Amino acid sequence: MRATDNQGSFLNRISIRRNQVVSMDGNHEQELEDLDLFQKHVADRFSDLLSSTSDDDSVLSIAWLRKLLDAFLCCEAEFKAVLLMGRDPSQISKPPLDRLVPEFLDRVVKALDVCNAAAHGVESVRHYQKLAEIVVAAFEQKPIGDGQVRRAKKALNSLMLTLEDKEGSTHKSAERTWSFGRRGAPSNKDRSTAGNFRSLSWTMSKGWSAAKQIQAMSANLVAPRGGESSGLALPVYIMSTIMVFVMWALVAAIPCQERNGLLTHFPVPRQLGWAQSMIVLQDRIAEEWKKKKEKNKLAGLLEETQRLERLGLSLIEFSDSFQFPGEAERLEEVAAQVSELSEICKKMEEGLVPLQQQIREVFHRVVRSRTEILDVLDQGGKMSAPTM
Amino acid sequence: MELNQPKKSDSFGRKEGTDTKPTSNTEALGEKIREDVDGAEGKKNEEEQNQLEVVPDPHCDLENVSDCIDKFLSSLSTKKDDDDKENDVIPVDIPHELLEKFSDLVEAKLSKPEVDSSFLAAVSRLSKLTKWLRDLKPEESHPSLLINRIGGIHERAISFLEEEFRLLLEDSRIGESDEKGKQDHHVQTELSESIGDHEADFPGYSDDVVSSLNNVAKEMIFGGYESECCQVYAVARSNAFEESLQKLGFENHSIDDIHKMHWEALEREIAIWIEAFKKCTTVYFSGEKALAESVFSNHPSLSDSLFSNLTRGILIQLLNFVEAVAMTKQRSAEKLFKFLDMYETLRDVVPAMDLFKNECGNELKNEATTAQCRLGEAAILMFTDLENSIKADTGKTPVPGGAVHPLTRYTMNYLKYACEYKDTLEQVFREHSRLERADSTSRPSRDETKSFDDHNESEPQTPFSLQLMRVMELLDSNLETKAKIYKDVGLSNIFMMNNGRYILQKIKGSTEIHDLMGDTWSRKRSSDLRQYHKNYQRETWSKLVGCLSNEGLNVNGKVVRPVLKERFKSFNQMFDEIHKTQSTWVVSDEQLQSELRVSISAVVIPAYRSFLGRFSQYFHTGRQTEKYVKYQPEDIETSIDELFDGNPTPRRRP
Repeated sequence: MRATDNQGSFLNRISIRRNQVVSMDGNHEQELEDLDLFQKHVADRFSDLLSSTSDDDSVLSIAWLRKLLDAFLCCEAEFKAVLLMGRDPSQISKPPLDRLVPEFLDRVVKALDVCNAAAHGVESVRHYQKLAEIVVAAFEQKPIGDGQVRRAKKALNSLMLTLEDKEGSTHKSAERTWSFGRRGAPSNKDRSTAGNFRSLSWTMSKGWSAAKQIQAMSANLVAPRGGESSGLALPVYIMSTIMVFVMWALVAAIPCQERNGLLTHFPVPRQLGWAQSMIVLQDRIAEEWKKKKEKNKLAGLLEETQRLERLGLSLIEFSDSFQFPGEAERLEEVAAQVSELSEICKKMEEGLVPLQQQIREVFHRVVRSRTEILDVLDQGGKMSAPTM
Repeated sequence: MELNQPKKSDSFGRKEGTDTKPTSNTEALGEKIREDVDGAEGKKNEEEQNQLEVVPDPHCDLENVSDCIDKFLSSLSTKKDDDDKENDVIPVDIPHELLEKFSDLVEAKLSKPEVDSSFLAAVSRLSKLTKWLRDLKPEESHPSLLINRIGGIHERAISFLEEEFRLLLEDSRIGESDEKGKQDHHVQTELSESIGDHEADFPGYSDDVVSSLNNVAKEMIFGGYESECCQVYAVARSNAFEESLQKLGFENHSIDDIHKMHWEALEREIAIWIEAFKKCTTVYFSGEKALAESVFSNHPSLSDSLFSNLTRGILIQLLNFVEAVAMTKQRSAEKLFKFLDMYETLRDVVPAMDLFKNECGNELKNEATTAQCRLGEAAILMFTDLENSIKADTGKTPVPGGAVHPLTRYTMNYLKYACEYKDTLEQVFREHSRLERADSTSRPSRDETKSFDDHNESEPQTPFSLQLMRVMELLDSNLETKAKIYKDVGLSNIFMMNNGRYILQKIKGSTEIHDLMGDTWSRKRSSDLRQYHKNYQRETWSKLVGCLSNEGLNVNGKVVRPVLKERFKSFNQMFDEIHKTQSTWVVSDEQLQSELRVSISAVVIPAYRSFLGRFSQYFHTGRQTEKYVKYQPEDIETSIDELFDGNPTPRRRP
């Protein structure tokens, strides 16, 4: 991957230079250059992300999200190099960094929860995939008969209900349709909330809200001004912004616990070069989100999910009106839809597990960096011990 | 339960029997099928034949028709074998009537369904038939209505099985049955808890239920409903697991929440976590694995992936808690022990993760190892925080009487406790401190590597023992600073002796620390102590004993009485003074106290006795003697025995 190569040489350069340069003045110039380079790389990565939305990967497809996370990991590595490598610890424990860095670390903790929620969300998407696969399996059988239509419809109804259910607002679980045909006395177990397709491993703690978390992460995000804007405050701000953006995009794309009231906008100064592509992406995603919200369909903006939803609705319609043997024309249409559905399933099959692993990688990386930054803070300012 | 176990195995036996050994009936059936086919030419004829020969009305039950179906199906498979050989497809004629009749009968059964062996067998036949029918080329006789009908019945039957499968999974769990009467529930749980039956804790199923699940799963998968089957299973087991964890009290907290949690609350959560983690790894995971393997006994790859998916989620969640805890900044060394408890739990469990095969297993092992590392690193930070608290203890108030300083007590008791985790701490320091230095971009190796060379002693030096040395050195230098706060040099030495003695005793009392610090170190400490003792003695008692020297008393062979009087006077005064101050000093270690008294007595008493013996004769009158010879040697001894009692009110003295 290009970005990674890039990053390797960048890190080397920083470490070599920092080791060579002793005088403070020289150091400062180098530092400015490093900062410029960092900004340039951030700008490049996001403009790559933006341009890749025009070819086969649309925004918030699985493939695009994976690119986004890649970009995040690269930016993060460079950020850490800029902030820490070969640096005198006392530098990051002085104002304004003594405030900005702990704030950044606080954001990191919140990002970790978002990562976990998103990983759970991917699990939900895998569940959509399984349901869609049933639909594909049913409709791929020829000739399509009443039995297969019934089978597909059951899976489709579950799919649509789980898609809606993911908002955490409606708890009419998919169970009802799934247990179609259930007989005998209902068991007296309380199943009101658990829902049949939710499982413990994929929920966050009670009351946790992705929307609030993102809100909190962006709350004190302020671009450095004046003299601060040329110092280390800038990369801290840039990285914070990237982090908020990436987490926000994940939450928008993947079903996460409690997304009601998710921000559609967080301030990124328009004049900053590195932020241009990010702003465009943000506007685009926010636009989608608003549209979806109006329709009250919030299973997530993940492109594959949206397509599932669209196809699902159409196939439900087909199933409702189906009478054996069905009209040839309609059957052809359905065959095309089913093959699209099958293609989405394939994409999900190939992409979801790696996406989940990548989210985990982000998690681990961010934890690691946090520890390292804390170490340096500790070394630099035993007196002003951070609370976080 | 509606399942009828023995009957089922019966029928399976029978079914297999018909499948494998063709009886003479087969030929008869072949005959019938041929008749059937012939009959297709003339409808009336066909009906008659069916009525009379194939399915005679009184015997027109599912059993008979099923037999015919089986024979038909097995004739297909032999035919297929022939086809393969000859590479030439001979179209098979469809026994419409037989199939319709079969459909009627199964449909009738479905209106009042009961999952028993005959039902399962019927589903199996339906599955075979649908497969066969679906494979027919469209141009062949085109029985689409029949396909639709059988397909529909098949779907309903499997739907029904699916429901049954779910009910079995949800409602037949061991320990579940008593929940039907909710009032009894509490009593029951308490009862089973008090028995402490660990096996019963796994929310599994009785053997009967497992074999029913296995049978149903087999038919569902055979019928092409693998996805549904796996879904139902995965959801039910995941809910069961959730309940088990809830029963153990394990709650899912966000990292943010854990970060803000008070220590008391976190401590409780840690205890619960340890319990839950152990339970999962010793009982639940293996139970789930065994269950998946028995339910999906014919599909090892399915059972593998179901098991991995289920446990992966749970395990990662449990490990997230570890990550979250390791992230909390515990600025207090005492909390270390809870961390070490978690660390040990994790460490002991990671090898048991061989349960997980394939990539998922590797991933989980890595996750567990990573979490273990984080805990280890956090533990090191906490332990080294002890250094900080020693450094930070810069109080200027001396401990009264030169007694053991609270810092010494705290540090030594802490170390003693820590050394109960010696092996774990050794491991933590060995594995995680090196690691941290190796992969960190942020930490230029400063003084850390140096210490290895500082101690060129014969004892093997482990990273943890070096750490311990460093703590002891810090404590020593801190104590030395504190000793200087005392104005009285003697007291300063007593202070050092007290603290040194305390440290040494603590180390002797703990073989773990002793082993870590080594004999050389202990010997060095002992000799330091002796030095303090000497210093003290010189500082306090040599001046006093100086009063008792002969020097200057004899002038030209005569004792100068005023000088003698002066000597006695100053001895008495000095001794009183020493007695007064030093009986307020504190030496709480009995042995040290008696050592000190003995050594003081050994210096003072013989000198005094001999001084007295030589010079008391120079006082003639009793009054003079009384005035100058205030103390008899025995009095001195008694007084010395009163030193270091920490007694602030000096005793009477005439």
